[in-house]
Amino acid sequence: MKKIRKLGQKKWLVTLVWVIGIVIVWEIMAFRVAAVKRTPENILPHIYQILYSFIDSSPVAGGQTALMVVASNAVATLLRAAVGFLLGMGLGFVLALLMKLSGIIEKLAFPYLMLIQMIPILGMAPIILSLTGDIGTSRIIIAAILTFYPVAANTLAGLKSVETEKYELMYSYAAPKRMIYTKVLIPACLPYFFTGLKIAAPMAITASILVDTLQGDGGLGCMLSQSLRHAMSIYVFWDIVLVSAVIGILSTKLMGWIEDLVSPLKRIDRQIGRRGGK
Amino acid sequence: MYTRKKNIFVRMSENVNVQKALGVILPVLLGIVIFVLWQTQVIHKIFHVDVFTLPLPTRIVSIMIDNISDILINTKATVFAAAIGLLIGSVIGYVIAWVADRWKGFGSGGLIIVTAFNAIPIVALAPVMTNWTRDVSPDASVRSMVSKILVVMIVSIASMSINAYRGLTELKPYAMDMMTSYAAKRREVFWKLQFPNSVPYIFTALRVSAPNSVISAIVAEYFAEYIIGVGRQIRENIVLAQYSTAWAYILTACIIGIVFYVVLMIVEAIILKHRK
Repeated sequence: MKKIRKLGQKKWLVTLVWVIGIVIVWEIMAFRVAAVKRTPENILPHIYQILYSFIDSSPVAGGQTALMVVASNAVATLLRAAVGFLLGMGLGFVLALLMKLSGIIEKLAFPYLMLIQMIPILGMAPIILSLTGDIGTSRIIIAAILTFYPVAANTLAGLKSVETEKYELMYSYAAPKRMIYTKVLIPACLPYFFTGLKIAAPMAITASILVDTLQGDGGLGCMLSQSLRHAMSIYVFWDIVLVSAVIGILSTKLMGWIEDLVSPLKRIDRQIGRRGGK
Repeated sequence: MYTRKKNIFVRMSENVNVQKALGVILPVLLGIVIFVLWQTQVIHKIFHVDVFTLPLPTRIVSIMIDNISDILINTKATVFAAAIGLLIGSVIGYVIAWVADRWKGFGSGGLIIVTAFNAIPIVALAPVMTNWTRDVSPDASVRSMVSKILVVMIVSIASMSINAYRGLTELKPYAMDMMTSYAAKRREVFWKLQFPNSVPYIFTALRVSAPNSVISAIVAEYFAEYIIGVGRQIRENIVLAQYSTAWAYILTACIIGIVFYVVLMIVEAIILKHRK
């Protein structure tokens, strides 16, 4: 018993046990489905079947294997999501700064910022498509709007979290306003900014995939709906579900890694950690 | 001592009441400006769109009034899926948080898995759920509703379990030590200390998952078998090029989202009234 408890403190092991547990449950269900259904692969295929479809060399569409289809479309979806994500990130950060700089802008924009959070932007995807007429543009717009809110709201919270003592210190240095921003406010808001990015990254990808489903222009979402309509092997659908889940998780992790590289607070943490290690 | 008389701008910026009033007046003014620009078709000229795809606000509202009975039927379907899914998902999320706190080692691994599930795009989740619920009922409307509820449920679990776990574990210093020194039973510790402590965290989670539940319900409708719901109507009407009707449903979707949030705020204000 004690041994088990000790093992429970190892994080990777705990995760591994859970993953194995889920795989077991999945496989039991898959065997059940396979026993009663005529087309089990539509409902719940075995995990090895999904994994095998990645390396299967028989073509599924236009002479491409499943892996080639998924990979090329994943890249297309990700690139489009990234453009919208970067745009929303930039605008969100600038708006948060402007709101901090001017009380009037904050009062003007804050209720509308709240409103963006409350209304279902993804539901508006079809109408934005017909407004812009171009699927690429609407993808960027939707990804940008979805990124915009969490970044702006979190960054503003970060800018407001700075203690008065720090302002007083800067005041005693006779620091100009620009310096207060570059030396105190922006470094202080970085952790909040990255929290916003971590929330926004999977959302931008979801938005990009959803817009894909609206029109046949490549991308993961497009292949997803084609495969669901049995225009190609159903395993492509399962591959895409798996890949989009992995991409979603990785996008959040990626933001964490970038934060570790960029943020001065994390850098100090690392240096202390190294010194402590010696 | 002579103090220089402050000019009107300085005095206004220091007056609390003026600032409060500005907080209401300015956004309303902005709203009116947008409305006027839209109604007078200035927005159409700037973005090069026509009145057909972006109808005037007055027309959207009149369409909405004309189709109110249809809209209400679809609203009911969407709200039902979102609300029930949110409720079940939040309860499950709380139970997961409790398990993670009760059996610290392996239980907290469940939290990691839940957050991983949260990163799966709804777009991928919705068709899977539609497939899985094929045998639930011979009635297409029932099984579509079940699959929609499942999607909303999964989306709601993660934010609740993460926040509730913080609520159960981030206690006031020494509170747990005091409970131990009273020889309090686990059940008492939970109901007297951990649960009350977690209530504000529950609302933090709901603030995220309430708007999300509406979005998930709408996206799940896109993939559902049975054609009902606000989201599905937006899509169907756009396919039929009935943009005014589609806009009426978009407005409805926005209203649902706002109402969900406002109801949550009111409930939060009532329940947390006696704290601070």
